[in-house]
Amino acid sequence: MAAPVPGEYFSVGSSVSCLTCLGQRLQGEVVAFDYQTKMLTLKCASSSGKPNLNDVILVNLAYVSDVEILTDRTETPPPLASLNVSKLANRARTEKEDKLSQAYAISAGVSVEGQQLFQTIHKTIKDCKWQEKNIIVMDDVVISPPYQVENCKGKEGSALSHIRKIVEKHFRDVETQKSMQRSQAQQTQKDSSLSS
Amino acid sequence: MFALARTITVLSSVFQVAFSGVYANMRMVHVLTSVVGTKCELKVKNGVIYEGVFKTYGPECDLVLDAAHRKSPEPSMGPRREDIVDSIIFKSSDVVVVHFKDVDLSYAKRDNFTDTAVSSRINGEHKEKDLEPWDGGDQHVSGSLESLDNDLSNGWDPDDMFKYNEETYGVKSTYDSSLSSYTVPLERDNSEEFLKREARAAQLAEEIEASAAYKARVALENDERSEEEKYTAVVRDSHTLNRENKYIPPGQRNREAGMSWGTGRQNSPRLVQCSPGPPTPRAGPHDYNTLSGVDQRVVNGGAHPWPSRCPSPSSRPPSRYQSGPTSLPPRASTPTRPPSRPPSRPLRPPSHPSAHGSTAPHSTVPKRLSSEGPPRMSPKSQRTPRGHRVASCRGGGPPGTDFMSQGASAEVSAPPPARSSPSGGTWSSVVSGALAPKSHRPRSPRQNSVGGAPPGPSSLSSPQAGTVPVDSMTTPASATSPTTASPAPNLAATPLAEAKESRIQETRQNSPSANKENVKPMESSSGISRPASKGVLLNYLLQSSSNPDPVFETTVTKSAREPGDKPKEQPIEKSTTDSTGPKVCSESSGSDEVSATPAGSKPSTPSPSPSSSALAAVSEQKRGPDVTSQGVQTSSPAVSASAKSDKEDKEEKKDPVPESVRKSTLNPNAKEFNPRAFCTPPKPATTPTLPRPQGQPSPSIVVQQSPAVYGQAMCFPQMYPLASVSPGVQVMYHVPVPHMTVSQSKPYRPGKVPNMPQQRPDQHHPPGTSTMMHPATAAGPPIVAPSPAYSTQYFTCSPQQFTSQPLVQQMTHYQSQAQHVFSPVMQGSARMITPHTHGQPSLVSSSTTQYGEQTHTMYGKDPNLNPNPFSAPIPQQYPHPSATLHPHPQHPQPSATPTGQAQQGTQHGGSHPAPSPVQHPQHQAAAAAAAAQALHLGNPPQQQMYSALAPTPPSMTPGPNPQSPQATFPSAQQALYIHPSQVQHGYSPNPMAHVQQAHMQSGMVPTHHGTPSHPPVMLMATQPPAGPQPPMAQGTLNPIPVSSTTHFSYMAHPPVQPHHQQQL
Repeated sequence: MAAPVPGEYFSVGSSVSCLTCLGQRLQGEVVAFDYQTKMLTLKCASSSGKPNLNDVILVNLAYVSDVEILTDRTETPPPLASLNVSKLANRARTEKEDKLSQAYAISAGVSVEGQQLFQTIHKTIKDCKWQEKNIIVMDDVVISPPYQVENCKGKEGSALSHIRKIVEKHFRDVETQKSMQRSQAQQTQKDSSLSS
Repeated sequence: MFALARTITVLSSVFQVAFSGVYANMRMVHVLTSVVGTKCELKVKNGVIYEGVFKTYGPECDLVLDAAHRKSPEPSMGPRREDIVDSIIFKSSDVVVVHFKDVDLSYAKRDNFTDTAVSSRINGEHKEKDLEPWDGGDQHVSGSLESLDNDLSNGWDPDDMFKYNEETYGVKSTYDSSLSSYTVPLERDNSEEFLKREARAAQLAEEIEASAAYKARVALENDERSEEEKYTAVVRDSHTLNRENKYIPPGQRNREAGMSWGTGRQNSPRLVQCSPGPPTPRAGPHDYNTLSGVDQRVVNGGAHPWPSRCPSPSSRPPSRYQSGPTSLPPRASTPTRPPSRPPSRPLRPPSHPSAHGSTAPHSTVPKRLSSEGPPRMSPKSQRTPRGHRVASCRGGGPPGTDFMSQGASAEVSAPPPARSSPSGGTWSSVVSGALAPKSHRPRSPRQNSVGGAPPGPSSLSSPQAGTVPVDSMTTPASATSPTTASPAPNLAATPLAEAKESRIQETRQNSPSANKENVKPMESSSGISRPASKGVLLNYLLQSSSNPDPVFETTVTKSAREPGDKPKEQPIEKSTTDSTGPKVCSESSGSDEVSATPAGSKPSTPSPSPSSSALAAVSEQKRGPDVTSQGVQTSSPAVSASAKSDKEDKEEKKDPVPESVRKSTLNPNAKEFNPRAFCTPPKPATTPTLPRPQGQPSPSIVVQQSPAVYGQAMCFPQMYPLASVSPGVQVMYHVPVPHMTVSQSKPYRPGKVPNMPQQRPDQHHPPGTSTMMHPATAAGPPIVAPSPAYSTQYFTCSPQQFTSQPLVQQMTHYQSQAQHVFSPVMQGSARMITPHTHGQPSLVSSSTTQYGEQTHTMYGKDPNLNPNPFSAPIPQQYPHPSATLHPHPQHPQPSATPTGQAQQGTQHGGSHPAPSPVQHPQHQAAAAAAAAQALHLGNPPQQQMYSALAPTPPSMTPGPNPQSPQATFPSAQQALYIHPSQVQHGYSPNPMAHVQQAHMQSGMVPTHHGTPSHPPVMLMATQPPAGPQPPMAQGTLNPIPVSSTTHFSYMAHPPVQPHHQQQL
């Protein structure tokens, strides 16, 4: 094999730190390294703090400096699990469609609240789409701006009530987040004021 | 390989092409593939960030983003539709950093519905719930929970349920607690009738509950034992007394070995049998012994090797077969020999290989085969070589070293043999045990452990010969007996057989090569054989009394010396025979000794074993290939016989044995062994019997055995080793040809002293017949035909012959087919015959005739068992000692010899074990008693292998020849069946069990016979046959062929085949 084993340069599992040409500091656990393309893959803790997720960074060492191996792991890397390619392909397609759908909505001038609601509903009910600025859910319920519970219209039934619950909860959560942000902001302000 | 390598290379190159660049980096591929479908931010050199869905990547790590858009520095809104590019390909050289956020790396490898997958999803985000202390409240007082458990109310009361259902669902129940719809209420009253019935019911209930079946079934439900305890745990009680019948772990064997192999373990029983066996065995074994004796005589007269070989195993079996189905014995003998020999050879080879190279034995065999007869020759040559080796080892101080070397070689070789074949392994173990005991008790275990029985024996023998022949003999015997039980017989048998064969060939050819071959085989085999021979010598001496001793000694010495002097052997026939005898003896004795030693008293055991071994040796010598098997068989018989025979006898014998051993050591030549064997026959019945049985039995036995061996050849060897002692032998015989064992034991008894000589001749004849048979068999279905014959022969021959012969015969048969076997046998028989004629023609003939009758009976039995036509003939034969003639009449010459052997075998049947021949002559009564005991023991076969073995043989001997043979046959067959399994299973334990079973069966038969009186009859019969036999002996070649042919006819392949089938 022409390509040297990753372990010869960066042993899998070792922790590496480097500085990109753009001034970005990167640090993570080596997952893979390709000598020919100088591509190094690092695995980092999720930027969103979710425990079961990771951030993966693909770095081109050609534009990186100050490479430093923080810790070196000698252990044999765990075997590679087989991947469900079709599942990955579906994910790629779905993500693309979602983005395009979102872009469509944005381009249509939908408010941020509307987009957020759409995303929330989309998490629960995949069968939803934009129709102009209206959100069409399951072809039965139409949510028109300003996208409040009252705006949910359709044939009375479990579907409508269900959508309403979702919408209701969505805005309640949004309020909660806002309040928390506010409280946090207030606390920070208090702290700052106290400290000052 | 090359093609494969090329293919792989091509494929790899292809793969390299296909997976060039990043694609060749599995981990990179894996991680990049894992993030497919996730959103990512990609920074390029100029600092622009593109955001999109990672679509795929190229071999040069070109990245493809779907729905990518240039991310504006302003975080505000999402991209507009028009900002999004459906797909962008970024060259890796332009990419600085790609940041995949919040990626679930396990997404693609998750399987959604496994516990792992489910739990892994939950584990990520869910937080452990805070544990809260439970507060039952005031209502729940401490212990309230327990009150629930103490609530005797069994759930809902039926009435409550009915009420609830009625109230809630409006369901009205028709339940009647009296169940009047299903039964009638019992009207109790005080009437007498009712009370009676009630009492009756109570009684019945009590009976049922008291029944074992009921308890057993209840126990199943209430059994608290673990699965381990119930099904897999190995429970061993350390009762020494019970050890005889039980398998003794190698670790514990040494202890016993030190004391008495036989007593200690299986060996002890064996030894006991052997010790007593020598007498009884000779008597009962007489069949064997007598056969062997005949063989020995023959040997003395002419070709010791053959006589010895053929006589012991083959002769007896053949005789029986011949007698019953006259043809059968010969056929059986020939067939068995080939088969047995082949097996033995293989075994030997393994053993030899280690010592001399695994191939050595085989090589020797082939050579012999080529020279004499492929199968037989080879076996013989092998045997002779071994004998020579043994002899050389015995030769003396030098031999001592030689022995050591041989022993070492034997040890080395032994393991291989054992490995090669289970039976071999057993044999090897036995042999090793024997050897070890002899030379060094410790060795025996090692050898056993090694599994190279042959080596073990050889080593033992070598040690004995080398260092202290006498001491070694005794000790070896003791030591060997335990260890040997299984291994020794195998080793001894194979080595012996080979040695014998080699010797025979050598003696015949007197070619240096033969000697060399012999030497090689001898080393391994001889090592064993030597010990055996020593033991044999001892036995001979003891048994034969003074005469045998000298002979043995001479033989031993000669054998030891002669390894190189094969040419001389013939001239010196006596010496050569002796040497061969010793060799054979040593081989057989190896097993015998082993068994004998186990018997308890080393001396006694050695002596018995020696006798048996001597017989075996003789037979082995004659048989060559057969010899090995015979040797084993003989040894086992001898052992059993010796064990059976009084320990005192053994001790006495031991003394002689040492001397003989020493002498034997002096004579390394195989030929010498043969002469000695012949000489031995002349001596007392014991010696003669031993040699004869060995020689004749071996041939005939070999043939007959070979069938059995084929089917169970491997097993046999093992069995033999296991049974090496009397039990082992019996077992072995039983396995191959249960009948044979029985018959053998019977023959021995009848033959006893008189028979011994006669038997030997008979044995010789049987070999010849067997050889004849073999040709015939060869013509048709060698193996099958032979197998029956073998079986029968085996039976007649008794354990020793069977053991040794089966192996040898099988070997020959398998290797060179029946014809080959025949040829060897023929030669051997010829030799045997000539010796017999010279040495004790009349006796031999007589014995042969007797044997023939016995064999006939045996055949008859076999037929009966196997629906053979012979059954009728057999009965007749039994009634008429001369009946042998009758059977023979059908098969004139062959029948005589074969029948004689067969008869012996039948007679000995009870005493199957090697000892039978030797012991029988000397101790017919003892044998009978032993047999009776054995029978008793046999009944409780499991009680003690040794005892069982010994008893059974004796019983066989005592038992009426006809009946006993018949019974023995059945038993033998059964035993055979068992044996195979046992053999396969394990050495000692299984063998023991088999032996026991065999004994049981045999014992049953013997009991029927019940009387030693048969021996006299047998003698009478033998004498009449003697007439026929002498001619046979003289024209060994012609007679043998005839007999063999006749045997075939007698054998009535059908019966034989049936037997084989059954056995198989």
